[in-house]
Amino acid sequence: MNRVAICAVAQIKNEPDIWYQRFQGMVLECFESIVRQTGVTFDMEQGIRNVVTCSDDVFDARTISDNAVTDVVGAHFRGEEKVAQDGLNALGYAAAAILSGHDDLILVMGHCKESQSESRLMNTNLAFDPFYCRPLGLDFLTAAALQARAYMRKAKLTEHHLAQVVMHARANGARNPYARDNPPVTETDVLTSPLLADPIRQLHAYPVTDWAAGMLLCCEERVHEFTEKPVWLTGFGSCMDSYFLGDRDLTGNFALKRAARRAYSMADIADPSTAFDLVELNDAYAYQLPLWAEGTGLTPEGSGGAWIESGLDRVNRSGGMLNGNPIMLGGLARALECALQLRGEAGERQVDGARRALAHGTTGAAGQHHAVLILER
Amino acid sequence: MTAKADSFIVDGKLALPYQYFAGRTGSRFLIQLRDQKKIQGLRCQTCDKVFVPPRSTCVSCGAKIADHWVEVKNTGTITGHTVIRYEEPHQPVKPPYILALIKLDGADTPLAHIVKGIPLTKVRTGQRVQAVFAKKTTSSILDIDHFRPLEEKPKIELGYSYEALEVGMSASFTKTISETDVYLFAGISGDFNPMHLNEEFAKLTPFGTRIAHGALPQSLIAPVLGMKLPGLGTVIPEITVRFRKPTYFGDTITAIGEVAEKIDARKWVRMELRWLNQKGELVAEGSCLAIPPVPLG
Repeated sequence: MNRVAICAVAQIKNEPDIWYQRFQGMVLECFESIVRQTGVTFDMEQGIRNVVTCSDDVFDARTISDNAVTDVVGAHFRGEEKVAQDGLNALGYAAAAILSGHDDLILVMGHCKESQSESRLMNTNLAFDPFYCRPLGLDFLTAAALQARAYMRKAKLTEHHLAQVVMHARANGARNPYARDNPPVTETDVLTSPLLADPIRQLHAYPVTDWAAGMLLCCEERVHEFTEKPVWLTGFGSCMDSYFLGDRDLTGNFALKRAARRAYSMADIADPSTAFDLVELNDAYAYQLPLWAEGTGLTPEGSGGAWIESGLDRVNRSGGMLNGNPIMLGGLARALECALQLRGEAGERQVDGARRALAHGTTGAAGQHHAVLILER
Repeated sequence: MTAKADSFIVDGKLALPYQYFAGRTGSRFLIQLRDQKKIQGLRCQTCDKVFVPPRSTCVSCGAKIADHWVEVKNTGTITGHTVIRYEEPHQPVKPPYILALIKLDGADTPLAHIVKGIPLTKVRTGQRVQAVFAKKTTSSILDIDHFRPLEEKPKIELGYSYEALEVGMSASFTKTISETDVYLFAGISGDFNPMHLNEEFAKLTPFGTRIAHGALPQSLIAPVLGMKLPGLGTVIPEITVRFRKPTYFGDTITAIGEVAEKIDARKWVRMELRWLNQKGELVAEGSCLAIPPVPLG
C-alpha cells in the first residue's frame, strides 16, 4: 500500500494581532520556508501540481478566501482546492489525494487572522441557520457553554481541574517559541477570571490569535527527494455529528469516537490509552481537553477529571489551542506540533524518543465535526 | 517592520440583505408559529421520535417524515443552560440572560431558546418552563419571545378516596382545653351562659365549677375528619353526638374517628366517633357519614 508523509512544516509565530502583515504575507513566509527546506519546485512534471488551502470566507470577510492566496501558494495553472473547515481536514484531504494515486506531492497552506474581525463570535453566529438558531444569538461560545455545563457534571470536573488545564496550556506555550505570548497565570487568576457564559470563564477560552502555517506532503516513493525525516500519516478518520444541539448528546463524543475508531483501524491501534508518545487535542476551551481525551479513548468515558489529576505530561506540549491558535487552524497546529516532535525538533518541549502521536481537530459548534490523525516516524 | 502609525486600516463591513427560503417544512413550522401560536414538530414513526425544529427527513433512520406533523405543547423542561454574560451585536437581548435547551412536552429533541423570569443563578436542569409568544411577529423563532417558569398549580394531597378506605382505619386529634378557648368559643357561638364563664355561678350548678361548651370538644373531630381520615376533600353530611361527661378547664381531649362501614351504593363511609379525656373517660360518642374526597375539578 502507498504511504504518505509530511516532508516539511512551516509556521509563523501565533500572535494576538499581526497588524504589520497582511495574511498573504503571513502565508508567503511559510511558503518560502517550505521551498527553502525541501527545494521543492513548481515544475509541471516533478514539482507541486496541487495545493490544498485552508481559510474561511467569513473570517476573511470576502468571498472565495483562497482566491486571495492563489498566487502566493504558487497555484496558477494547477490544482488548488480550499477546505473551509479545521485545517486537519485539509491535511486529511491532501493525504487522501496522494494515497489514491491522484498526485504524489501536495502543498497544504492555511491562514486566519481573528484580530481583523470586530467580533469573532459574531462570525460564528453566522455558522447557525437563519431560522431557528441564528436569531437567538447562538455562537460557538454559547454552544460550548451548554456543552461545558453538561460535561462538567458528567465527569465531575471542578473549577480547579479547569484551572489546571489553563495553567498547563500556558506553561507549555511559554516553552514553544511559535506559541502566542501570554502572561503566566496562577490558579487564582483562573478561578476569579470573569464569567463569559457560565461555566466558561475568560481564561477558559482560547484568545484571539492570528497565524499561518504550511506543510509539504509526499508519497513514499519520492520522500527522499525532500527530507531525511519523514513523518508518516498512518491513520485518519473524520465524522460529523448532527447540526442541532438538541439532536446531540453533547457529552457523548458521538463523532469523535467514530473519527478516532477509523483512524485507529487504519493505523492498527488496539489500545489508544497506551499507543501514543504524545497527543495534541484541539482545546478551544479548557473543558474540551478532558472531553476530547474521553472521545479519543485516552481515558474512559466520564473520567476526564481523574485524567487531568493523573497528569498531562504528554498532552498538548505545544500549548494547545487554548494557548492561542486561530479558529480553522487548531487541528493543523496540533498536527504540526506532532510533526516537529516526531522529527525531534521541538526544542525545550521535546518528548524524548517520540515515535507515534495523535493530532485532533474539530470544526463547528461544540465539536460537531471531528478529525483524528495518527502520525509516526 | 513598519511603525504602527504607518499601517493604514480600512474599515469594512459585509452586509448582505438576503431572503432565505425556509423550505416547505420550515415554512409550515414558522407560519403555524406566527399565525396560530402553535409549535409543531415532525414525527418519525419508525424511531418514535418527534423533531423540533422539524426536519423532513428523520435524523436517526433517514425516513421521509415530512407529512407526519404533530403539535407539541408550549410547555417544556430545561435540559441544559448557560448564562450569557458577554455582550455582542448579534444577541437579541441585552446580557446577562439565560440561554437554555428546552425539551417541549411532546418533542424528543430540545430546542435552544431564551429563558426569562428566573434569577440567573437559580436556573436548573429539570426546571419547567412555558413559551411566551411575541406580541409582534418577526416570522422567526423569535415569535416565541422567550420562555418563563411554568406556574404550576399548588400540589394538593387529597385524603383517602372511598376505594382506599378500609373498615377499622382510625385517626385522632388531641388538645388541652383552656379558659381562653372557652371564652373565645363563647364569643364565636354567642353562648355567654355563666356556667361556662362565671366560676361563682358555676359553683351552684351540679358540676361545681365551670365547664366547657359541649360543642367545643366536639369540634375537635373536625381536624380528624377533614384533614386526616378520610382527609382533605372530605364532606360530612351528617353527624350525631351523645355527651357523656363534662369537659373541665385544663382537660386534654382526644377526638377519635374510625371507619365503621363502607356504603357501596353511595360511596360514603359511616364513622364511629369518640372523645376521651386525659383519664381515658368517655366524654362523648357518636357517629357520622363521610363523603370521601374525589379528584378536584
